Amino acid sequence: MASEKKASVEILARTVEEAIDRGLSELGLRRDQVEVEIINPGRSGVLGFGAEEARVRITALPEEPALGKELPQREPAVAESLPEEAVEPATESVTAEPDVTELAVNLLQGLLERMKIHAQVTARIGDDLVEEGEDPPLTLDVTGDDLGILIGRRGETLRALQYMTRLMLSRSLERWEPVVVDVESYRVRRRRLLRQLAARMAERVSFSRQRVVLEAMPPHERRIVHIALRDHPDVTTKSIGEGEHRKVTIIPK
Amino acid sequence: MSAMKELVEYMAKALVNDPDAVVVREIEGASATIFELSVAPDDMGRVIGKQGRVANAMRTLLRVAAVKEGKRVTLEIV
Repeated sequence: MASEKKASVEILARTVEEAIDRGLSELGLRRDQVEVEIINPGRSGVLGFGAEEARVRITALPEEPALGKELPQREPAVAESLPEEAVEPATESVTAEPDVTELAVNLLQGLLERMKIHAQVTARIGDDLVEEGEDPPLTLDVTGDDLGILIGRRGETLRALQYMTRLMLSRSLERWEPVVVDVESYRVRRRRLLRQLAARMAERVSFSRQRVVLEAMPPHERRIVHIALRDHPDVTTKSIGEGEHRKVTIIPK
Repeated sequence: MSAMKELVEYMAKALVNDPDAVVVREIEGASATIFELSVAPDDMGRVIGKQGRVANAMRTLLRVAAVKEGKRVTLEIV
């Protein structure tokens, strides 16, 4: 499909990683479909002084023919070690890196205990939390009674919990490990909801020919909307606004 | 030691290079409890984060613990 996609974007963000994430969601592409050029790696500065924002340019790669050489894909080892059809995806236990999984579970349990939250933590491969073709992340499900307090307004507390778990885990592994923390399947439900919303709003936009601005969302939620509509025949999507106020806009083509 | 103080220590010690230098003081006020976190100078950035992101995540989680205990809390990094 030779639809008119923006081929390249330049993004300013606090970190290179964040800039890349944002650029990818802007373009609705995966990391393996773009070329990333780091124009300025940025500087964190001392306590916020002298900090410089990172700037990257992200350019869509031409679509490769199917018979082209395969991109090296990080297959999760667990997928191979499990007999097909033997285990239900939702209850798959993570066996790929037992140390990482155990460490992650222990760190999160340690947090919850000290927060006086009584809950169970179960590790799984989060294949229902990513787009097709993406590596499913190690996911920690927190379940128990009355855990709304752990989700917070618009998922704010859940985001803090995940961020802290990632930081602590990455510090002890000495590499970045993007573990996902979910509480009472909030992320799974939210994802389903956003895709439904995207489809409904896209229908409205293609009918009315008027753009629709969605409410402000965090980056990973905006990304879900961008991707849900990236192949839509009648609309395109774009994020507008800054930081916490950034909103997805659905625009008639 | 209160659970909330333990929570702050637990997070801070997991993030710094020098866990032995992590000190948390709990100051019980009339309306709120103040937690003062101090770490080695080189570790300041690790508990504050860019634009205070790490400190804010600690505050958000500390607030959950505080709600459970029916208290108001603030976390200061000193």
